[in-house]
Amino acid sequence: MRAVWALMRRGHDLVVTAMAVVAGLALVWLMVAIVWSVGMRNLGMQPHAWLFTSTEYGVFYMTMLGAPWLVRRRGHVHIELVTATLPDGVRALVSRAVAAGCVVVCGYLAWRGYLLVQTNIARMDFDVRAYFYPRWLLTIAFPVSFGLMAVEFARFAVGRELMHTGQAGIHE
Amino acid sequence: TETLTAVHAFPSTLVYTQSFLEFVDAVNEAGDGVIRIDVRGGPEAIGSFQQADAVRDGVVDMAYTPGSFYAGALPEKDALVTSNRTAAEARENGGIDLINEIHEARMGVHYLGWFDSGVCYNLWTVNTPRLDDAGNLAMTDVRLRGNPVYNAFFTDYLGAQVIDLPTGEVFAGLERGVVNATGWTQIGLIDLRWNEFINYRIEPCFFSTDLGVIVNLERWNALSEEARAILRDVAIAHEISSAEAHRDRRDAEFEQLEAAGMTVVELEGEAAAEYLRGAREATWNRMRGLMEAQPLEADHFDRLIEHFYDFDRAGG
Amino acid sequence: MIWVEALAILLGTIAVLMALGMPVAIAFLAACILGAFLFMGGERGVTQMLNNGLGSLTSYALVPIPLFLLMGEVFFHTGLGNRMFATIDRLLGRLPGRLSYVTVLGGTGFATLSGSSMGSTALMGSLMVPEMNRRGYSQHMSLGPILGTGGLAIIIPPSALAVLLATLARVDIAALLIAGIIPGLLLAVFYMVTIFIQTRLDPSAAPAYEVAPIPLREKLFLVLRDVVPMVGLMVGIVLMMLGGLATPSEAAAFGALGVMVLAGAFRVLTLKALVASVTGALRVTLMAYLIVFGSATFSQLLAFTGASRGLIEWATSFDLAPVAMLLAMFAVLLVLGMFMEQISMMLLTVPIFFPLALHLGFDPVWFALIMLLALEISFTTPPFGLLLFVMKGVAPPSTTMRDIYMAAIPYILCSMLLVGLLILFPAIALWLPGR
Ligand code: NA
Ligand code: NA
Repeated sequence: MRAVWALMRRGHDLVVTAMAVVAGLALVWLMVAIVWSVGMRNLGMQPHAWLFTSTEYGVFYMTMLGAPWLVRRRGHVHIELVTATLPDGVRALVSRAVAAGCVVVCGYLAWRGYLLVQTNIARMDFDVRAYFYPRWLLTIAFPVSFGLMAVEFARFAVGRELMHTGQAGIHE
Repeated sequence: TETLTAVHAFPSTLVYTQSFLEFVDAVNEAGDGVIRIDVRGGPEAIGSFQQADAVRDGVVDMAYTPGSFYAGALPEKDALVTSNRTAAEARENGGIDLINEIHEARMGVHYLGWFDSGVCYNLWTVNTPRLDDAGNLAMTDVRLRGNPVYNAFFTDYLGAQVIDLPTGEVFAGLERGVVNATGWTQIGLIDLRWNEFINYRIEPCFFSTDLGVIVNLERWNALSEEARAILRDVAIAHEISSAEAHRDRRDAEFEQLEAAGMTVVELEGEAAAEYLRGAREATWNRMRGLMEAQPLEADHFDRLIEHFYDFDRAGG
Repeated sequence: MIWVEALAILLGTIAVLMALGMPVAIAFLAACILGAFLFMGGERGVTQMLNNGLGSLTSYALVPIPLFLLMGEVFFHTGLGNRMFATIDRLLGRLPGRLSYVTVLGGTGFATLSGSSMGSTALMGSLMVPEMNRRGYSQHMSLGPILGTGGLAIIIPPSALAVLLATLARVDIAALLIAGIIPGLLLAVFYMVTIFIQTRLDPSAAPAYEVAPIPLREKLFLVLRDVVPMVGLMVGIVLMMLGGLATPSEAAAFGALGVMVLAGAFRVLTLKALVASVTGALRVTLMAYLIVFGSATFSQLLAFTGASRGLIEWATSFDLAPVAMLLAMFAVLLVLGMFMEQISMMLLTVPIFFPLALHLGFDPVWFALIMLLALEISFTTPPFGLLLFVMKGVAPPSTTMRDIYMAAIPYILCSMLLVGLLILFPAIALWLPGR
């Protein structure tokens, strides 16, 4: 039982890290796509329309795919005001409660995102830019990303580590 | 009083939004005690491309938006894009009933009216347009600002080098020569100040604006017959008056632009007919392809063309 | 007064959650969910919120910022930035706080070309803060000038935001862009005066260490090797834009590529530095863009419920003297700016403010410039200015919220002073476009 749990955790960590790597590659792709397309244009060629479109979608995928990884790194800025003034025991309690609140928010958005994907598939929705791109290929990022973020926040709610340090200031 | 919430796809200061707000005022006056439209805002309230979905899902009851903003759900909107008729004519011959039928079937929204019709698009260029021996437009050396609505025409027919830029970047693009030509409606160039760089307008104009009011169908059906009648009557009247107002505005803007040095280049005879044929055929092909992928009624394609395009007027 | 309730509930929720320590982005999303349930018809509203978020994140306007970040991170991680600033440090000799001045000059130059406050803050922050930290500068000497010059990006042309404002308000675009030049440069001068005063009041804030005098020949060599290539890269990017080869947004990509090529030429482009750079740029981008997701959606909710429009109409409903009306409009922009992003604010306020400004007899170009300044200030005002968060992302981990707020305040006062001068002497803005 314990071994299965450990395996699941390793699997989850691997998925989150792999998504962050893809997000990093998407960032580099933004540079490549623009340089490529400006280069073609100035050589008198027609830049591929998908180069432009891919940068707009790239920003979205990058943000959603990298978000769970940033939760693990405590990279989402939060302000320590109340938590900094509390004694250790109470602070731990508040910190876990806030993390649990984040689990609820992200979990709910993951659920609504999942329903949105189903709607998009049922309605055959397209995102129309240079191409007709199936909308569900974009919205699928919501259940995946918010779902994994919920798991990462759950670690701060019940795990060994806390999200808040108790030092005043904006933290990451 | 029954109340419908509404949003509009363009900023409040834009001429097309002003036209919609006039319609809203007219409804609120005629519908006193029966029906009221409560405008919640423009793209700052719900993003332009999300408004049709918001109406579909019942988050708002009504939206004033180009059909092109929900092209993914309703490819038939290209019948309005390629139209050379006005709303009044399409209302008369049953075209608007047909497009409403398609809206109800595909999206669960009621198509209340096609406003601001009769405005078409021109090609606008910075440099003197070049014509080949047959009088056709030669598009080499032209860097044309594109847009999903007319890219099918620009690339497939004209073979121009199309550069996609968001509307907000076009000013900077023209200023620095990243693009030196753009398609745009007959009116609005002065508002965007693109006339500071543009020197030529190419005639004939092609396509049409496709701005319409859509209403959530459940909400529409739940309205009293009296409320529906008021909305319909005011919409039909506004279809006519908005088209007239834009015709006057267009004449005034053209005059202002020409007084400031804008030159009009007119394609002649067969070249002009070819140009218009290129615009509509490229777009119709796209529409037919998409309609086949999302089947509804097989004969809709021909019926749409019949209702929204007047071949006699186009000269073949 | 339904808008008051909506405003109180939405802003109250977000303030409480943030104070409790919920990550800013999640707090925005939580407030949005609550608002969707109360004002957008329940669960359908939450779906709409996701759709709106998708719309705001698939936007070309967001493309350049990660690339400016990447440019700064590569500069930093390959040691190229260090070399350049070490040389400038030596060349400037004993001037106290010299790197702060360099930041203002470099930041102003960069703002001039980029037009992006966030991009400019990101680049200067990732480039300068670690360097100045290492040289013993106190936080306010490094963070402040960067926050200040970041805002300059939207005042000095080219500026996409100025073009958008002019288009929405039907103000002469060229006139507004030109009107921003003198006030923008004046603001940069104020910033330098601020630094001068700060180094006088507290000499230890910018350590005045001894620098050995360098012979001229060596000076020339150092400049050629460490400064000219980097400055040349910047100049090259500006030329690309002026020559019409690339738009300002596209130039960011060439900046990032250019630094990599330069690092390759100096043989400092290691895989380790590259991975560290991408990771650093990604970290800040993700942090900022998830906030953009939440706050853009939140802005739309404020607009949809009528809460923000209610506030605007209430504040402008009093029959006051023109100057008092101007200050009321200015205050509304600052309050909205704490919670809303700039484009939504412009869409919302322009249709109400501009007719009013014309009615009061204000010059539209002058008024548009004041509005740009308010937008710029609201970007750096505590507690929720987005630039403050971007700065937190690029600054060393030991930097506290207090450090950043304290650093920002003198520079906000500079902008306020400029607004005061513009009210007293409109010619500061209007003289140049009038010629
Ligand atoms: Na600028
Ligand atoms: Na400032």
